[in-house]
Amino acid sequence: MSDKNPFGISITPGKLRAKPKDTSPKTVAKTDAAAEKHGFTDRSPKKRRGRKPSPRTGQVHAKVMPDVAREIGDEARARGVQQGVLIEEAWALYKAENDL
Amino acid sequence: MPTIVVASPKGGAGKSTTAVLLGTELAHENVPVTLLDCDPNRSLTLWADQADVPRNITVLSDITEADIVRTIKAHDADGQVVIVDLEGVASRLVSRAISQADLVLTPMRATTLDATIGARAIQLIAEEEEALDRRIPHAVVFTMTKAIVSKQHKGIEISLRQQGVDVIDPPLMERAAFSGLFAFGGDLHSMPPMGNMDSARDNARAFAMQVYKRLAGEG
Ligand SMILES: Nc1ncnc2c1ncn2[C@@H]1O[C@H](COP(=O)(O)OP(=O)(O)OP(=O)(O)O)[C@@H](O)[C@H]1O
Ligand SMILES: [Mg+2]
Repeated sequence: MSDKNPFGISITPGKLRAKPKDTSPKTVAKTDAAAEKHGFTDRSPKKRRGRKPSPRTGQVHAKVMPDVAREIGDEARARGVQQGVLIEEAWALYKAENDL
Repeated sequence: MPTIVVASPKGGAGKSTTAVLLGTELAHENVPVTLLDCDPNRSLTLWADQADVPRNITVLSDITEADIVRTIKAHDADGQVVIVDLEGVASRLVSRAISQADLVLTPMRATTLDATIGARAIQLIAEEEEALDRRIPHAVVFTMTKAIVSKQHKGIEISLRQQGVDVIDPPLMERAAFSGLFAFGGDLHSMPPMGNMDSARDNARAFAMQVYKRLAGEG
């Protein structure tokens, strides 16, 4: 501490004592509950691992001629989309055509 | 190690500035300091990257909700200080850090808006004290104050004190040197002069001494 210090307190690091604190999961849970009550919420960035779940949860049961299956497969692969996307597009065209 | 958590859900209240000033002043007085940067915006890490990190200081970055409790515990040792800088939001990370604190500092500008939002930190501390059945010492430090204390400042300070809130005197005044720390890195002793350096150093040191007194039980 320099002589210039107008406040005249000197720092003794030895006086800085570690005090034990509870770090158990139970304490963390209590802390989180207190936080929740005051609107201090989980804001940690959510890691999204892997592929997001597809919104395509409907299913059709279509047997088609082998060459049609091959062409649909090739087209979907080439465009990098699911085969279902092609069926959706075909259905949209069909509806437009037939005023459905 | 006493752990000092700098917390306010108010953005731009002066948390990171308070953390760096306190850390660098204590380190300058030969206290080993670990700064935990828990803000995804990485203010302390940016400061550390500007220049050589001063002697006695270690900065750990990217501390999250999942590892805050463990990280504080890992740096638990007598004669050292851990200072935690948090993002200006109401997060669970803030509350977990507070659960491990020996002292919580809530920086606030002396405006009604800052005081109102800053008060949420004080309410959270009270709730945690009850939930954990442990006293968690805390104090408010006014930041960016002017030489002439405004009516608003006086009013807020009086009302806090009346409610039993510990207010640290001196406040951290608005000073070019304090914001300059983030432009130049280092500390008030190494950076190129900005504004009145002597006053800035005296202010920062007097503030750090007040914090030290509270930690050492001399307050
Ligand atoms: N005492 C001061 N004198 C001059 N400028 C200051 C002072 N305190 C803070 N500032 C400036 O005000 C701005 C906000 O300060 P700071 O980054 O410390 O706030 P914060 O509470 O950490 O913000 P956040 O919530 O975004 O983390 C910064 O540009 C900083 O340089
Ligand atoms: Mg900050």
